[in-house]
Amino acid sequence: MDLQYIGTLLPSLLSGTVMTLKIFVLTLAFSLPLGLPFALAAISRLRPLRFLSKTYIWVFRGTPLMLQLFFVYYGLPILAQKIGPAWAQLLRMDNVTAAVVTFTLNYAAYFAEIYRAGVQSIDAGQHEAAKTLGFTRWQTMRLIILPQTLARVVPPVSNEVITLVKDTALVTAIGVAELLKAAKDANNRDVNPTAFFAAAVIYLLLTFVLTLVSQWCEKRFSRHEQTQEG
Amino acid sequence: MAILSIEHVVKKYGAFTALNDVSLTVEKGEAVAIIGSSGSGKSTLLRCVNDLERISAGRIVIDGETLADTKDGAAVYPPEKTVRRICMKTGMVFQHFNLFPHLTCLENIAIAPVRVRGRSRAQAEETARELLAVVGLESKAGAYPAQLSGGQKQRVAIARALAMEPQIMLFDEPTSALDPETTNEVIATIQKLVARRTTMLIVTHDMRFARESASRVLFMDEGKILEENTPQALFDRPQNPRLQAFLRSVR
Repeated sequence: MDLQYIGTLLPSLLSGTVMTLKIFVLTLAFSLPLGLPFALAAISRLRPLRFLSKTYIWVFRGTPLMLQLFFVYYGLPILAQKIGPAWAQLLRMDNVTAAVVTFTLNYAAYFAEIYRAGVQSIDAGQHEAAKTLGFTRWQTMRLIILPQTLARVVPPVSNEVITLVKDTALVTAIGVAELLKAAKDANNRDVNPTAFFAAAVIYLLLTFVLTLVSQWCEKRFSRHEQTQEG
Repeated sequence: MAILSIEHVVKKYGAFTALNDVSLTVEKGEAVAIIGSSGSGKSTLLRCVNDLERISAGRIVIDGETLADTKDGAAVYPPEKTVRRICMKTGMVFQHFNLFPHLTCLENIAIAPVRVRGRSRAQAEETARELLAVVGLESKAGAYPAQLSGGQKQRVAIARALAMEPQIMLFDEPTSALDPETTNEVIATIQKLVARRTTMLIVTHDMRFARESASRVLFMDEGKILEENTPQALFDRPQNPRLQAFLRSVR
């Protein structure tokens, strides 16, 4: 271990980390809320909505994330070109945008499944009680079911969030200068694998912090389940 | 005036007939108890009154408004909004309480008056505190359901239903999920409502409770009301052989 060498790596590794975090945060900011309409559509009374949502979830969970990434970044522009120049303009994305768009669509599918399972795990008696009190279906969902679902989905959502930290490394394949790419470039340039170790430590730090955040959320959202007052 | 009138109601689940030509009226201020063995249709009957189940044929009128009627041999219901409005004339207490676990006792009671009736939060919470006093749980306003005993949960559930000022309270085996000690506190609460002339329809397995609290008792068996009388007469001089057998079995 040569601390001085690690020191020279740090600027590029840290700027890679910033990019990793940028993709991570943007993906979460869009996909966490986007999962909800897909989850609600999947349990809707309207068959076409159910079909659309289930197909969406099936496609995005059923194909490799890397394939989706390549398709959005390399495939879509070609497809758009064939349809028309207006589309081509719209669908020409830089690699960071393509990464965020793909990850958002992909993770929204996973979150939708988690939310759907969470909503359906709430006891039927809750729906019945709300109905007898005069709540509409939407009020029941918003005021009674979803708040209870929140506590239940924290653990599986945390799992996905930690997976996402590591999945961001995939975007190195479309040339985004994130943490893994910084490490790989350093290794290739210096013929020295130290950068990989340094990158691993940074990933571990990130996932460690996220584990703490998720534990805090779990406690926070299930306060009402504690049997002691206060 | 009849608050609830059920006429020739039939409820089928496929080939199984859960309710077979049931008729019943509940007058204002009456406490009517329904007894009978499991699967006799008594809970189903209650659940048809507030649209948790839909009837196959017959007529249900609540406080002068028709919830369900029969046209060309099939039950017809008004639009969802109307059904909701009519059902709000009923208040329901469930066997398993079904309190909202993420809300405090006070919030459990106040949420529907605020969100459904459009009351102000302050007003709804004041009423909620009064109702908590009625069921003897003033001190639990800020507690979550997980912090209460079964009997306390059921008393909060009663207060929650009362907060919507229903014309008739429906109780679906309110003490069946409770241990004997807490059963008594719930029964005492319901008897308090009897004393206040709250109109009630109570499905129960507790014969002592039916005898002491109800103004009228119905015995159901295989989807039919077989006997109907004052508690005194029904328990002391049962006429129908099935009722006689049932009463022997629960004693």
